Amino acid sequence: MLKINWFSPLPPARSGIAQNYTMQVLPALARYYEVVLWTDQDQVAPEVQRLAHVARYAPDAPPWREINDGTISIYHLGNQPDLHGGIWQVCMCQPGIVVLHDLRLHDFFFTFWVRHRQDRASYLAALERWYGEAGRRAGEAFCGGGISPESMAQKFPLTREALRGALGGITHSSRALAELKETPACPIIALNHPYAAAGESRYRQWLTVRKAAPHPPYRLVVFGYLSRNRRLEAVLEALAGIPEREQIRLDVCGQLWDKGHIRTQIERLGLSSLVKLLGFLPESLVEQELSTADLAINLRYPSMGEASGSQLQFWDYGLPTLVTRTGWYASLPEGTAAFVRPEHEVEDIQTHLRAFLNDPGAFRAMGERGRQSLENNNDPEKYVDALARFAAEVLRLSPRVSARALARRIGSDLTEWLPSAASPYLLERASQEIYTIFEGRRRE
Amino acid sequence: MRVLVVTSGVPFIRGGGEILADNLCRALSRAGHDAELISIPFKHYPPNRIPDHILACRLLDLTEACGVRIDRVIGLRFPAYLTPHPNKTIWLLHQHRTAYELWDHRTAGDLIHYPDGPVIRDTIRQADRELIPEAKAVYTVSKNVSDRLRRFCGIAGEPLYSPPAHAAQFHGGPADGYFFFPSRVSRMKRQLLVIEGLARCREKTRVRFAGEADHPGELAACVEAIRHLKMEGRVEWLGWISEEQKRELYANCLGVIFPPEDENYGYVTLEAMLSSKPVITCSDSGGPLEFVVDRQTGLVADPTPESLGQAMDALWVDRRSAAAMGEAGRARYEDLKISWEHAVEKLLC
Repeated sequence: MLKINWFSPLPPARSGIAQNYTMQVLPALARYYEVVLWTDQDQVAPEVQRLAHVARYAPDAPPWREINDGTISIYHLGNQPDLHGGIWQVCMCQPGIVVLHDLRLHDFFFTFWVRHRQDRASYLAALERWYGEAGRRAGEAFCGGGISPESMAQKFPLTREALRGALGGITHSSRALAELKETPACPIIALNHPYAAAGESRYRQWLTVRKAAPHPPYRLVVFGYLSRNRRLEAVLEALAGIPEREQIRLDVCGQLWDKGHIRTQIERLGLSSLVKLLGFLPESLVEQELSTADLAINLRYPSMGEASGSQLQFWDYGLPTLVTRTGWYASLPEGTAAFVRPEHEVEDIQTHLRAFLNDPGAFRAMGERGRQSLENNNDPEKYVDALARFAAEVLRLSPRVSARALARRIGSDLTEWLPSAASPYLLERASQEIYTIFEGRRRE
Repeated sequence: MRVLVVTSGVPFIRGGGEILADNLCRALSRAGHDAELISIPFKHYPPNRIPDHILACRLLDLTEACGVRIDRVIGLRFPAYLTPHPNKTIWLLHQHRTAYELWDHRTAGDLIHYPDGPVIRDTIRQADRELIPEAKAVYTVSKNVSDRLRRFCGIAGEPLYSPPAHAAQFHGGPADGYFFFPSRVSRMKRQLLVIEGLARCREKTRVRFAGEADHPGELAACVEAIRHLKMEGRVEWLGWISEEQKRELYANCLGVIFPPEDENYGYVTLEAMLSSKPVITCSDSGGPLEFVVDRQTGLVADPTPESLGQAMDALWVDRRSAAAMGEAGRARYEDLKISWEHAVEKLLC
């Protein structure tokens, strides 16, 4: 039976991966497999400890003996260095399955190496490894403030760096991965992001509460870890630009990348009476907020290639949503969300808001279709089953990691002393034997 | 026939594997073959060096030397037995054990302490699984090694026993008041367990240990245990001894203690049998259990100080039975028809 080392942010960490991913998949995972939740967090919520054994590690000196009691390690990486830095340190040392919660990880690697560890050389080496001299030069320019973070994330996502040495990778968006054109050396699969839909009676109860609330005003929500690419400024601008804005209230729930800046924007646009900054909501208040909201705004641009646990959470509540037509979001079934084109952002948001105010029922039906999609496509049991099958497959192929390392070492060694005329023969002999050792047969 | 015996070894370390390789070469020569031993140095740490050694062996060309064909290669130890040859026989001493049954062993496990340990373990297993079957025939040194090979790799290997060095020179003799335990000093051989067993004995039993330590720490742990348990008067520590001394110590002991943990084969058992001495071993000792029949050619104890102490007491007080078991052991050895002639014949057929 698989014994899984699970390296992920865990509640109460302010992370969508902790709340909307690990807590969704863990009950099903722990039902079928032995799971050890490894963490370097100071605190872990009691409800997590009821699901699986929690073990602690120091990122600089992981307890390998205990970790190696597991069959496979599964690492969850995203763009929050505070939560994923320790995981990455272990991941660099021990090959396992890397779950990419963001595909554009430049921001993570820059912050991890340069900000946290004052190791600019490693950051630049990673860029050079995957993008050559152009990557190194761009990294140097970025460190000097000459290139924007968004531009670096787009041009140099460093996705392959996250999968360097991995046994396998999992993404929740095959479309976003294909768009990236960052083919890794290891096997990679796309699985639908898991989410355990609430029971039907509870769901009906939420719909009843929502319909019964006096309207207008209608309550809109923005949720999650709110970095610049969540487009809050565009939302505020769109809201300020429509005369019907008094029929709308906007609750901003989550940690903002720059609270002062947003507060200033709200005041400048005259939205102080319509917009509330509620900060990070404890789990106990999330249900109240989402069950009474009328529309969720869940934009991303540029997308970091992530699938959104928040989107699935909105659908769980039958909430209609506005999403950007990009990355994973662009692959959502038509009719389950209202799409915003990145190049016509404010205009599209305003169009959707007016449409919503004209016919809230049509948007409610959209939310219900989203809920149906969630029930059909995001079952955690199916996710766990696919995850386990993938784990078995990559474990079977795990010697290839040694093969690649060996080939790199030999190539590097031969380069130092071998005359170029002799290289082809020796490299062919070595590669032939490496292939035979690790594949068990001679290469055709 | 021109035969190369290919093995691997750790420089400056000499044990049963080296003895077997030397004796095999001598036996091949006696049988009229042109035989030579090639020992490839092996360093098992850090783990990512192990695939290097596998590749190094795979890159060797042993098909001919100076234009003359090498007719047969006999591979003995990992990773040397993976060296390719169109006419190869493997006589498996043991696989890289910490990738297999010793992976999570509390003291012997080494790969498990490294971050890349699991991948290297899987690499070793894959190489064995895929490349051992290249050999024309696979023999092992014991049923215990065959069982592991089948259990972990699904590969059948026929046990082929070999006699100890200078087998003909072992002889029996009158039993003096001591047990003899000749072996490298290491945790897997369990000298400490014997010292603790000695302390549990009701009789004033005595043990003479011979052999050098794998690491100075192993010896220090034993010395500390002797001091702590106040066993100084009942233990003699002989260290390195010559072959002649060893045979005399066998010949004059009351019985031989050999309780290793999951031993591959264990010449000590056979040497004791050749010396007509009963053997005390343990129920988890592996190779020795293929030869020691409980209460007939020795005693099989549980791997606890209490049980070992009881076994020592039993032989100590009933020397007539001890002598009878020793004689039965010698007879059993004769029945097994273990000989180099037989081994060479099988390996070259």
